Amino acid sequence: MPIIEMKKVFLLGHRQERENIFSLLQALGSVEMLDIKSGEAWEEFRALLEPEHVGETVSESESVLSDVRYCLDFFQRYFPARKSFVEQFTGSKLELTEQDYRDFVNQLEKVKPVYEACHKAEENLARIRNEETQGRNLIEELEPWSSMSLSLEEVEQGSSAVIGLYTVGVDRSEALQAGLAEKIPDHYYEEISADNEFVYFFYAGLTEDLAQMQDLFKDNTVTAVKFQDLTGTAAHNIELMHRKIASLQDEREAAMKDIEDLLENRPMLMACHDYMANELQKHEAVANLARTENSFLLEGWVPVPVLQDLEKAVEEKTETAVLAARDPEPGENVPVLLHNSGPVEAYEVVTKLYSTPKRSELDPTPFMAPFFFVFFGICLSDAGYGIALSLLALFISRKLKLGGMGKQLIYLLFLGGISSVVFGIVFGAYFGDLIKLPPLWFDPLDDPMRMLFYCFAIGLIHIYFGMGVQAYRNIKAGRPWSALFDQGFWFIFLNGLILLMLPGYETAAQWMALGGGAGLILTQGRSQSGIVMKFLSGLLSLYNITGYLSDVLSYSRLLALGLASVVIATAINAMGEMVAGSLVGTVIMVFVLLGGHVFNIVISTLSSYVHTSRLQYIEFFSKFFEGGGKSFQPFRIENSYVDVADPENS
Amino acid sequence: MTGTEIALIGAALAVGLAGIGSAIGVGIVGQSAAGLVTEDPDKFGQTLLLQALPGTQGIYGLLAGFIIMQNIGIIGDELLELTVPQGYAFLMAAIPIAIVGLVSGIYQGRVSASAVGLVAKRPEELGKGIVYAVMVETYAVLALLATIMLLFGIPL
Repeated sequence: MPIIEMKKVFLLGHRQERENIFSLLQALGSVEMLDIKSGEAWEEFRALLEPEHVGETVSESESVLSDVRYCLDFFQRYFPARKSFVEQFTGSKLELTEQDYRDFVNQLEKVKPVYEACHKAEENLARIRNEETQGRNLIEELEPWSSMSLSLEEVEQGSSAVIGLYTVGVDRSEALQAGLAEKIPDHYYEEISADNEFVYFFYAGLTEDLAQMQDLFKDNTVTAVKFQDLTGTAAHNIELMHRKIASLQDEREAAMKDIEDLLENRPMLMACHDYMANELQKHEAVANLARTENSFLLEGWVPVPVLQDLEKAVEEKTETAVLAARDPEPGENVPVLLHNSGPVEAYEVVTKLYSTPKRSELDPTPFMAPFFFVFFGICLSDAGYGIALSLLALFISRKLKLGGMGKQLIYLLFLGGISSVVFGIVFGAYFGDLIKLPPLWFDPLDDPMRMLFYCFAIGLIHIYFGMGVQAYRNIKAGRPWSALFDQGFWFIFLNGLILLMLPGYETAAQWMALGGGAGLILTQGRSQSGIVMKFLSGLLSLYNITGYLSDVLSYSRLLALGLASVVIATAINAMGEMVAGSLVGTVIMVFVLLGGHVFNIVISTLSSYVHTSRLQYIEFFSKFFEGGGKSFQPFRIENSYVDVADPENS
Repeated sequence: MTGTEIALIGAALAVGLAGIGSAIGVGIVGQSAAGLVTEDPDKFGQTLLLQALPGTQGIYGLLAGFIIMQNIGIIGDELLELTVPQGYAFLMAAIPIAIVGLVSGIYQGRVSASAVGLVAKRPEELGKGIVYAVMVETYAVLALLATIMLLFGIPL
């Protein structure tokens, strides 16, 4: 049975054992908790229940957890733990022994000092960054005046003379000088420097001319430049600032060094993070309980195969708890857990990427698995590539500790490699035409029409199989007539149409097509009311023939992708051959072949996987599978940073 | 123009137009992917996968061009002297993948770019994003199939 039976369990226990029982349940990871208080059945007992109180421990745990998160994010920002390319898909965790984990978690009180140190280091870095920016900005402002020998503190407005530093737009500079010459006879103007936009100048004049000067400056949009609190020449100040920035950089290095020293706490923080996150989860689960003064009751779903273990554990490890289980009642939203054994399990990932089956449905995985295997092989259809892919999958599964979908996907690719070895031998492709061996059957390159025909045939089998599964579901659900009307008539009708194209079966084919078609017209409108509507929608249903036609034609992609992977391989070989000959040429050839084939394996595997999936999703699942179930999510220990080795396994 | 030259136009169109489609498509995905990776560098692998999807049209075009080159002897033994009708036959055979490759590459790029947004919020739904993009590619595959069947059917 691919979908596992579930039972609803109720666990009644004494308040004192609550923590203990929850730790036990979390470690077992076999119960999906329900929010018992949201159920209506408890309405009348509400008076007995204790009101909720989010305990102090929860908020305390939350604050510790947020401190831990802050530190980990902080480390990640300055000393990122890079993930390798493969780990970006699979995730990576720190592996710890049980003992190490315990030791780390016992250092929980170290979190606060580390947090404070991190916080201080961050503030320090921010200050350094700020001062550095200020210094650089000042240098930029001082730069135009660096050739001026006047000390900056001497630039001021006195009782009889005005001296100052100003900038004016390059386009206004000449007008300004002309204006000054005309209106203020006694003045001193010296251009200090100029760039693309502005002219930087020094002006000295009499205070009595001030008003006139200001008007003139205003007309020409002259801006005064002031350096407050600076003494000495601009060049001297620039030099000072450079020295300050250099010392800031030293400070920053020291600060980074401090952070690096803190880094040794990272594993401890990771362990604490996961520990606290799980503790919090436990508290949240406790909040969903029905509690009285001295007892509590929890409600949840348990897969039948592990129910016994749960019963045993509760009996052995607790004193007061009572466990009761019952079958699901109609209308209850039972979570779905898939279970397939052997190689079929690998293909669960394909189903899960589409949707979790509903409980009332069949798990499509075992039906789809053999087709997926075959289609993938036809798409890649190269024995050499198949071996390479399988070896790579094997290597990854050995090298990386994968779980869940990642593991299934790698297993699926491994099987795909085997399938493609089979079809590579059948169609005679070994790294394209690198190794020339005759095909076991025939080479699709020589006779693509023949191959296309077989692709359509295999597609038809796939579609018929999907219809057959739906017919089986209908019969099983006590609707044999639906099986006959919705699947049987189509089966007859389609086969009749196909036979019409073959010589020798005309009479039989005509009768099948007509009979099937008539059956469809008469039955497909049966849900409509009124004889006219029944007939019309029955007639209209024949239009679905286009759907079946396009479904079958869609399988031509098997041929196209098979040809593509082999012909690209051949092209790579031809390119390699072109440069072969001399010693250098041969070296280049090896690179061309190696790089080209690796590239082709990656691209072809990707297309094989996605197009094969699509054939399952669109052409196959649409015949019998809806999905939309709720997957089983047990209350268990969930770690995001560390992986604690099971003491029994290691 | 000789038949061989006309056939070469076909090869050039197949490689060129389908390649343009892929280049635009891959470019669109790359832009959104780079945006996402600035926020979350660990999404590089997943987004690279999405970026690779609209790249196939260019490969299909190259494939068609390669078959033409091989059939008329540019690669390999000796250059065949094609008649003008034969040359046009090759040109016509190249048209499906050239045109469909161009357009589907761009649109697949757009779908993949949206899938990058999907991965940003729900990395576990990468599979669905890929399936959407592959729906577009179907037509490039069909066009490639038509081109290949046509090319293999030309009598020489």
